[in-house]
Amino acid sequence: MNPLETIIEKEKETSYSQRNKELFSFYILTLINQEQAFRKLNRKLWISLLLITGGLFLLLSPTSEMMNYFIVSLSSSSMVDIFKMAVVSYGFLFVLIALLKQRSTI
Amino acid sequence: METDEELVRRTLSGGNHHYGILIQRYADYLFGLGMRLTAGNRELSEDISQQSFLKSYTYLKSFDSRKPYKHWLTGIAVNCYKDLIRKEHQHLSLDANGELSYTPYLEGNMDFFNLIKPLTEDEKILFTLKYVYEYQINAIADLLNQKSGTVKSKLSRALEKLK
Repeated sequence: MNPLETIIEKEKETSYSQRNKELFSFYILTLINQEQAFRKLNRKLWISLLLITGGLFLLLSPTSEMMNYFIVSLSSSSMVDIFKMAVVSYGFLFVLIALLKQRSTI
Repeated sequence: METDEELVRRTLSGGNHHYGILIQRYADYLFGLGMRLTAGNRELSEDISQQSFLKSYTYLKSFDSRKPYKHWLTGIAVNCYKDLIRKEHQHLSLDANGELSYTPYLEGNMDFFNLIKPLTEDEKILFTLKYVYEYQINAIADLLNQKSGTVKSKLSRALEKLK
């Protein structure tokens, strides 16, 4: 066996140990949870901002014109159109709820 | 005992505590790899280990369960090592010889660390994986995203340097 092989063999027999593996594992999991919580909060804030902006736009826009437009379009629309609108609205709501509840990975 | 792939699957389906088992299973392995690559620098090795587990969790969805988790984790650890070394060299002032200006606390088999000292970072990684961990050339090429021929030629160059 040449010196190179001897050194490699000695190195193979050397074992290295991470200090306190349980604490280390707990620390990594804490970092992961912290990051996940941060991302979740961030997403919720963005969605809330989007909803608030939309709500403010609806509240601050000329209501009478909107109501007129709504009444005219409602009177001219059929039950099928109203049903379609309801499906789209509930679909949008479902997507928002799913986004809020979605598990995040860091 | 649950297999690595099973633990990955369970982690992905919402149980972070399963990932804790994987961490404990490979903590020594990654730490040892870090120690060998950093020539016995405990702090850097712990950083490499920590970063590797965090990255592994981040990209867990992209893990291909047909391949061993250990190989995948090794690839991540090697990339973390390269990143940390790059950052170390950027942030710490270097003296005229290109050596680190601080003296890290080193421990382990100094003969081995002195042996691989003349090698480049890439060569150190390949040499350690091939001769200490006994990875096959194809496996090394796979986990480092390199061609087998490239790995072979780099390894023979490293061996030439050491002779």
